[in-house]
Amino acid sequence: MTRKEVVQQCRDLVDLLPGEALAEARKKHPDVGGFGVFPVYAPVEVIHAAGLMPVGLFGAGDKIELSHAESRFQSFICSIAKSTLELFLRDDMKDFEGVVFSSICDVARNLSSLVTRNAPDLYIEYLHMPQNMYSGETLNYARAEFERFRTKLSQRVGRPITDEAICESLVLYNEVRALVRRLYSHRKLHPTSIAAADVYAVVQAGTRMMPEDYAPMLRDLCDEVEATEVKPRDGVRIVLEGAFCEQPPIGLIDVIEAGGCIVQDDDLMIGWRLFDHDVESNGDPLAALSQAYVSSSVYTSVRHDVDKPRADGLVVRMKQSGAEAVLFAPAKFCEPALLDYVLFRQKLEEDDVPHLKIEYEEKMWTFEATRTEIETFAESMLFD
Amino acid sequence: MRTTVSNDKDYRGNVHELSRNIMTDWMGQLKDATQNPVPSAYLMISGNCVEILRCFDILPVFPEINALQLAIRKNSLPYIIKSEEIGYASDNCAYVKADIGFTMCGGVGKEGTIPKPSIIVCNFVGCNVYIKWFEHCAQMMDVPMIMLDIPFLREDAPSKADIAYVVCQLRELITRCEELTGKKFDIDRLREILRYSARAEDGWSRAKELCKNRPTPYDAYFDSINMMGPINALRGTKEAADFFDATVKEYEKMVADGIGVLDDERFRVVFEGPPPYPYYRNFRNLFEAWGAVSVQSTYSTVGGTWEFGFRHDADHPLETIAEQMIVHNLCNRSMLERYKQIRTYVEDWSADALVIHSIKSCRLFSAGQGDMREYFTKELGIPTLMVESDLEDPRYYAEAQMKNRIDAFFESLQYKRLRQGEEAART
Amino acid sequence: MKYAAGIDVGSTQTKAVAIDSARAIVARALIDTGANVVRAGQRALDELLATAEIKREDVGFVVGTGYGRYKIEAGDTQVTEISCHARGAQMLFPNTRTVIDMGGQDTKAIKIGPEGDVLDFCMNDKCAAGTGRFLAGAAEVLGLTLDEIGEISMTGTKPIRLTSVCTVFVESDILSHLAQKKKVEDILAGVHQAIAARTIGLVRRVGMDPEMTFTGGVARNIGMIRSLEASLGQSLNVSPDAHFCGALGAALFAMDHVLANYKPDIPVGAEPTVWVDE
Repeated sequence: MTRKEVVQQCRDLVDLLPGEALAEARKKHPDVGGFGVFPVYAPVEVIHAAGLMPVGLFGAGDKIELSHAESRFQSFICSIAKSTLELFLRDDMKDFEGVVFSSICDVARNLSSLVTRNAPDLYIEYLHMPQNMYSGETLNYARAEFERFRTKLSQRVGRPITDEAICESLVLYNEVRALVRRLYSHRKLHPTSIAAADVYAVVQAGTRMMPEDYAPMLRDLCDEVEATEVKPRDGVRIVLEGAFCEQPPIGLIDVIEAGGCIVQDDDLMIGWRLFDHDVESNGDPLAALSQAYVSSSVYTSVRHDVDKPRADGLVVRMKQSGAEAVLFAPAKFCEPALLDYVLFRQKLEEDDVPHLKIEYEEKMWTFEATRTEIETFAESMLFD
Repeated sequence: MRTTVSNDKDYRGNVHELSRNIMTDWMGQLKDATQNPVPSAYLMISGNCVEILRCFDILPVFPEINALQLAIRKNSLPYIIKSEEIGYASDNCAYVKADIGFTMCGGVGKEGTIPKPSIIVCNFVGCNVYIKWFEHCAQMMDVPMIMLDIPFLREDAPSKADIAYVVCQLRELITRCEELTGKKFDIDRLREILRYSARAEDGWSRAKELCKNRPTPYDAYFDSINMMGPINALRGTKEAADFFDATVKEYEKMVADGIGVLDDERFRVVFEGPPPYPYYRNFRNLFEAWGAVSVQSTYSTVGGTWEFGFRHDADHPLETIAEQMIVHNLCNRSMLERYKQIRTYVEDWSADALVIHSIKSCRLFSAGQGDMREYFTKELGIPTLMVESDLEDPRYYAEAQMKNRIDAFFESLQYKRLRQGEEAART
Repeated sequence: MKYAAGIDVGSTQTKAVAIDSARAIVARALIDTGANVVRAGQRALDELLATAEIKREDVGFVVGTGYGRYKIEAGDTQVTEISCHARGAQMLFPNTRTVIDMGGQDTKAIKIGPEGDVLDFCMNDKCAAGTGRFLAGAAEVLGLTLDEIGEISMTGTKPIRLTSVCTVFVESDILSHLAQKKKVEDILAGVHQAIAARTIGLVRRVGMDPEMTFTGGVARNIGMIRSLEASLGQSLNVSPDAHFCGALGAALFAMDHVLANYKPDIPVGAEPTVWVDE
């Protein structure tokens, strides 16, 4: 496929509701079931090995009106929680076998309870991901948690989920993650070779396709992007930080670049590209996934590592990507992102790194005020 | 015609006095620690393992209690603002903001005392904000942090792996405590401490049980705070165990004499959610005006759901602590488990209604309470009132609107009774 | 002594209603509340008596309601406007099961029983998002009066989408739409739709049982009625007395006392108190 075709197909896919994306996949895989993956991370390989398509469940953007969920969640609760619940209350998720949530924040945890009550026919799982990376029992615990998921999912679909099948899925997702890393690496060196909004759409589309269909497409894209001659342009080279759960509207990413910034790296959909190298796919796959989560995860706001403060991680991310500034983009009401901002900010002030905070909501659709802020920020740096 | 309430009504009684005495004693130790440092540790309230610290004579310090005191004494706002100045968002938990703001100002003053700890023990029990809060404290105060990752209760019972994971972390904590204090771990001492814990838990449970009586001897929401300090912060001491014996005796006598906390108990309610500490008395008055008293509350069980029977078991010291942290406290249980807990409260404690105080700061409590309201009103037919403010930030308390909702709610309950009375008279 | 009166002291206007012992309305009064709430209550009562041509001593009981109810010295007792709107709506439309009351700074959804008793209710958040105040803000930016905007909104064919229903941001929001050359009628249609959508969320919380009655000051706005009906998928009862519904309910409670055959002895909550330090 040509780069243009890939980007267009991905943008179209991202525009669909999760149920519609599943229907799209079923055109090619008529028997495949769907399983929702709420941010940030879940072992998608287990889901795929069960014969299901893992579908990234990032709320519903501005695609639906919230008519039921507003009465269940208060005004100070983030958009993604509301729109996700709305999808279930509207019965949009009826073709799915279930959804997996994890211990990312208090809202997500309560959301999993509400979905359990309001969608009684689905299998709703809540994974408690380890937060202590250094205990003697951490790996055993993590493996047992993945095993629990495998057992229950297997009961749900009525067939075993073998180690062999998970290993096969691991190979596929390793390939996808490696390709995504390749795209990101290339962008760090040649950020103007592909629009940030295109990277965003392409990676998000990967959460709505079977990996076996997605990987070839992504490879085509990488090949073409890498072969393209690039003209550098002026702009403030930034790392985008804070958008690890609720996803911003694509228009916001456009505005960031149009406003004079160049995105060198970001944490968009970080859970789907969490590992900095391949997961071992020979042997015990659940043990391998546990090991990867504990020792090969990149930093995120929802995973505690007592020896590796996130602020240090941000500095490394900046250096490795050649960024000169940080654009914080927490989702409105996102407690983990808003709390992390404090320590990030302290660190950047110490190091004299320019930064700007812009809050967004997935359902946001006018960007006038944000654009002004970004332009002012970029101007202040470019004309300094 | 108009029934108004005198504002000088003394709700407090002897139990308040007893509680204040032992808490003041502990706070004195905190104050001393700011002058003459002793081994001390930060700890969170919910599902804590204070017994282990106590076993090494490590002074437990609770930032949550610090935040609570700032709020109830009406001192929280300047510190919240102080924190917002360094980047905390208006949507962040105000408990964190008040505590961090106060710490930035030195951590000592007439508003409270929070000594710099030797270590920070993050008992991550449910509340995800705990992790951030303690990460911030560790970073800003440059104090080592220990993570106790407690798996959320996501099945009916914890798995073997859950228990093994927590017990292993407790052992690792013990090693750190040994290093810090130079003391050898003494399991018999821990057993003794756990026996005191169990005695206090027994008292807690009996006191809660007494609220099933009409009239209830104390308000299980507003007055439970007197018991929460001793059970959560001082658990494992003889003083706390004795306090509960005295408390139960006091309340038993009230029940025997037919004395209630209210002179005229007209409505029995169950409370969900933390109280608005900056307006504690005002808020209480709005309910008392209607003769409404709380017979059970979820907030009082953030540290432990002792009324459902769990007691620390001295014969299995680490396993019992692990079990309590995973299973037997409100924070580590799901929203749906809370629905069950409230339902039991309403039924077994003969309540007329449920009152949800939804607070912005604590999303663990509040996120999704609209669904809770839906469940109780529509599925169970239990009258439910939902009001909103905050537990720490006084800017979210709008008394006129609060009062309007509360009055309307009890007016409707009143009419319902009236009609039932008329119907009963007709038949 | 055969009359009873109700006074509803709202944030912008004070309404008063007198009824006779057959519970028929004999007079109404409507004044701007102004800064002096105590006086507003008294002035409304004076005007009511003058219109009805009855003497003060002929009014056996006066009930105050609305935010200013504790300030009404002329009143004998107070009842919340939630109870009053429920009672008033039931008298205006006896089959009412759900009341939507939209006033200056809050919106309420009330589920009621056959006798006008409150079974459940919900109110908007503390901010005035999506209430009459929001409409007033929109009207002001567009240089229109509140009475005009409803009619105009109904001529809109392509309703715009608002970023939020925040009263603070409505101005800049509308200005940016004007800058994009959007038509005034489409902007107003969007404003009405946004409020309707928000109101539906509130109504869902208590249940959408028919018949539904729309009360409060905003019920005079035909555009709002149509928007709500479209969103609810059912028609609304709207009385010409919708604005007086709270005062009417208060008068009905007052008449209960006068007739004394149904004496609810409503305890009144404590007045907002001053904090006593622990």
